Amino acid sequence: MDINIIQKQIENDLTGIVSPQELEMVRVKYLGRKGILAELTGLIGTLAIEERGPFGKEVNALKNKLLNLISEREKTLRIQSNIPKESVLDIGLPGISQEFGNSHPIIQIIDEICGIFNRMGFSVVEGPEIETEYNNFTGLNIPLDHPSRDAFDTFYLKNYPKLLLRSHTSPVQVRAMKIHKPPLAIVVPGRVYRPDAVDASHLFMFHQIEGFLVDENIRFSDLKGILELFAKSVFGQDIKMRFRPHFFPFTEPSAEVDISCIICKGKGCSVCGRKGWLEILGSGMIHPNVFKHVGYKPGKYTGFAFGMGVERIAMLKYGINDIRLFFENDLRFLKQF
Amino acid sequence: MKVTYSWLKDFVNIKLTPRELAEKLTMAGLEVVSLEESAGDFIFEIEITSNRPDWLSILGVAREISSLTDSKLKAAKPQELGFKASGLKPVEISVADKKDCPFYSAMIIRNIKVASSPEWLKKRLGSLGCRSVNNIVDITNYILFELGQPLHAFDLDRLGQESINVRRGRLDEKIITIDGQQRILDHEILVIADKNKPVAIAGVMGGKETEVTEKTSNVLLESAVFNPILVRRSRQKLGLQSESAYRFERGVDLEIARTASLSALELIHTLAFGKPYAYKSLGAIKSAKSEIRLETAYISRILGVSIPVFKIKQILTGLGFIVKTRAKGILVVKPPSFRQDIKLQIDLIEEIARVYGYERIPLTLPAVKPHQNVSGNRDIVSGIRIILRGLGLQEAITYSLVDRSLLIKSGINKNTQPVEILNPLSKEQEVLRSTLLPSLVRTLAYNLDQQQEYVNIFEVANVFSDKNSSAQHQILSDELVHACVQEELSLGIALCGSKSLLIKQGLIKDEVTILHLKGILESLFNKLGVKVYDFKPQGDNQINIIVGQQEAGFMLKLDEQTLDSFDIKNKQVVLAEVNLSKLFKHINLERKFINIPKYPAITRDISLVIKDKFSVKELLAAIEPKGPSLLSLVKVVDYYQGKQIPSGFRGLTISCVYRAPDRTLTEEEVAPLHNSICALLEERFGIKLR
Repeated sequence: MDINIIQKQIENDLTGIVSPQELEMVRVKYLGRKGILAELTGLIGTLAIEERGPFGKEVNALKNKLLNLISEREKTLRIQSNIPKESVLDIGLPGISQEFGNSHPIIQIIDEICGIFNRMGFSVVEGPEIETEYNNFTGLNIPLDHPSRDAFDTFYLKNYPKLLLRSHTSPVQVRAMKIHKPPLAIVVPGRVYRPDAVDASHLFMFHQIEGFLVDENIRFSDLKGILELFAKSVFGQDIKMRFRPHFFPFTEPSAEVDISCIICKGKGCSVCGRKGWLEILGSGMIHPNVFKHVGYKPGKYTGFAFGMGVERIAMLKYGINDIRLFFENDLRFLKQF
Repeated sequence: MKVTYSWLKDFVNIKLTPRELAEKLTMAGLEVVSLEESAGDFIFEIEITSNRPDWLSILGVAREISSLTDSKLKAAKPQELGFKASGLKPVEISVADKKDCPFYSAMIIRNIKVASSPEWLKKRLGSLGCRSVNNIVDITNYILFELGQPLHAFDLDRLGQESINVRRGRLDEKIITIDGQQRILDHEILVIADKNKPVAIAGVMGGKETEVTEKTSNVLLESAVFNPILVRRSRQKLGLQSESAYRFERGVDLEIARTASLSALELIHTLAFGKPYAYKSLGAIKSAKSEIRLETAYISRILGVSIPVFKIKQILTGLGFIVKTRAKGILVVKPPSFRQDIKLQIDLIEEIARVYGYERIPLTLPAVKPHQNVSGNRDIVSGIRIILRGLGLQEAITYSLVDRSLLIKSGINKNTQPVEILNPLSKEQEVLRSTLLPSLVRTLAYNLDQQQEYVNIFEVANVFSDKNSSAQHQILSDELVHACVQEELSLGIALCGSKSLLIKQGLIKDEVTILHLKGILESLFNKLGVKVYDFKPQGDNQINIIVGQQEAGFMLKLDEQTLDSFDIKNKQVVLAEVNLSKLFKHINLERKFINIPKYPAITRDISLVIKDKFSVKELLAAIEPKGPSLLSLVKVVDYYQGKQIPSGFRGLTISCVYRAPDRTLTEEEVAPLHNSICALLEERFGIKLR
């Protein structure tokens, strides 16, 4: 076979072509598995050794030329035919994806806060929701028949007079300290229950995060330092903080912690009740009686504890005005977080 | 509690503006929650913490202002009686138990003229939110607000005269209180009684019969100190609240009780022309307060700031404490009578910190030494949440307390006894739920109502069950009682409706089925390294989830009737609940690397028609190699039921993957193995190849 003849023949074959189908037939005729070029390649082995090289080169050159010719022809055909390409991408169409599930905003806040304390070296511990009266009250220096109990309206279990639904996460202090000796650095997230009439800011179930640090020399100044680090991590570096004296039976001295209102920056608005301050948590130095109840040697340890309502933090952070939204689980609510 | 700016000024000079004063008080622990201007005066509403009954009066707040602003307290000293208080003839007073009533005093005032109060008195009471009754009652209230000592005036002529006795109530004794309600008494309730019957509930409320009216001309004025716990129990038992009980249950100052009588007498004399006739008191008039040893080093150990000793002394003295230096670094402190809250060294430190100013205590960062041994399943639960979210599920949080009827109408977990609540505020808080699913179904229904087409949610929370409600719990220890109520972590999943998927070929509606749930659980279990699990059908709608060899939960398709009761129309609801405490044991997050196969596999599909009585599970079990084999994987890649398949049959395509670890397999090697599998299926299940 003469390569030149083949080349002529190719040119002839290509001139009459008007459709992609015809072009494909030509391609198969020459370049297919059993096409002419394959045949030529097959011939190489039959030639004398010194002829093989030059012939091979010629075949390759022909093959390249042919590929070029076909692709040129293809282009002209496409332009002529004006037929759209296989598919035209409209990037305006919705992307194809899977919908992602969201975590509940309360869980997000709990994870965020526990994460902050985790990085400071605190461990996360949980405790039961059904508690003994002792752990919920007496062990925390809240005596029976004392008005301080009024702040902790509590659900009791019907058939078990000594059991109740914990009204705060603080009983985990008693539990943890009964088992472990200091140093202790713990945060406790969880559900708590109080028989409160339901309105936009009260519910009978909500979440708290408790934290406590106990060692031989923990001071009120450490409480201030840790809580400032925490509040700035959650609400931003620009906030101001203040510690106000307060009373909790299980801490002394006790403090309520306010941050400058994140809505009005302290000028006074409806969210902060024109005060410019938002109360975010309660805290204090763990009362010596609590240490006594868990059997620590008197005077050996000092420590601080704090507790906060997760819903309150979430409401402030996200600008949510009704606590009930958290438990309605409207997908239009949940999917925002 | 409310106080007014002008009334405070009776007791202390205030140089601060009302706003500055509010700020000062707030930062000292008397949180001013509102400040209002009213008729030229300012009304402060202060939240008084339960440890500070001494602040529950104008005098108490003024005392605090005086120490905060270093301004002298103008304590009013009422005039002493002009006669010797020797007896109270014709009335004999007695106290049955000193512990119930450490101090009791009565003063007889004669020839009073009961009338309405003068304007200034009405206004002062009104600004604190107290209604004016008549001059006598108003004066007792005025003294209560001003000095914090509750007083009670009886109409002397309507008392069964000869005796006044402070004693416990007797079973089934009754009294009609001033508010017109009949109260039934018992031994837990402390009363003031005349010879025949109770005339007042001690410290809580007086009786209607002996109240002061326009007809009253002689009164017996009571000023007493009652046991705080008794007053608290009485008022709780009777469901009563009063300004008097509020103060008594927190503790009143023993040493002001007498002053209060005398101050009231002054006012009664001025406003109602009454004359004192007799006075008698029983019990101590001085409170016994012991000294507290205060180590100055301990102050800085607690606070993290070193306060000079002279400053410490100044603060405590300003608050009415008597301070002496015992040795270097050791003070001895005696609290004033009105500070019953001060018992320990730490109580003094709080006072020092409060007045010194929390804002002056520096910020430091402690060395946090985390405890190694505290851990739980929290990380695993976090992992579970992440996996489920990754599978597209939304996380919900629903109430642990539910209406019992919700559990019943769901029909789920019927045999578990839920834990009952003694004091629910409403039906919605009756029981602690024993399953998460009814709440999740309610959430589905709610969202369908909001026109959602597809709802897929999960919740991780505790469920509760009462294992032994009939046992005698009174005698068991806390731990044993606790073991009777079980609290276990549970995972609930609820799916409903059709998921819309817009893919290249257009819209696909994918209606949820139990298989969707199964897929979610399989992904979850596989990701958690749970090796042995299975799904076992139980009747029509329920499939049990077996983990290891143990039942660990179930999947459920809700029946029409239940869907109806939740108002769910034309939608399938599928549910799953997994007991996480049972799952935890089987979770294995350790991983060992397995070499990636070096040689290519040969895949052969079998398309077949099989009677639909055979389960795919059986089919796969028959094929799966029992030992080492070239067959490395068998899976269902397609199934079909429809036109081309005769009824009672279904079409399946099973993909077999053959692979050798040490060489590239050839067609010739695979063919006999594959043919034997086809033959086995034909023989065992009567399949027809398509």
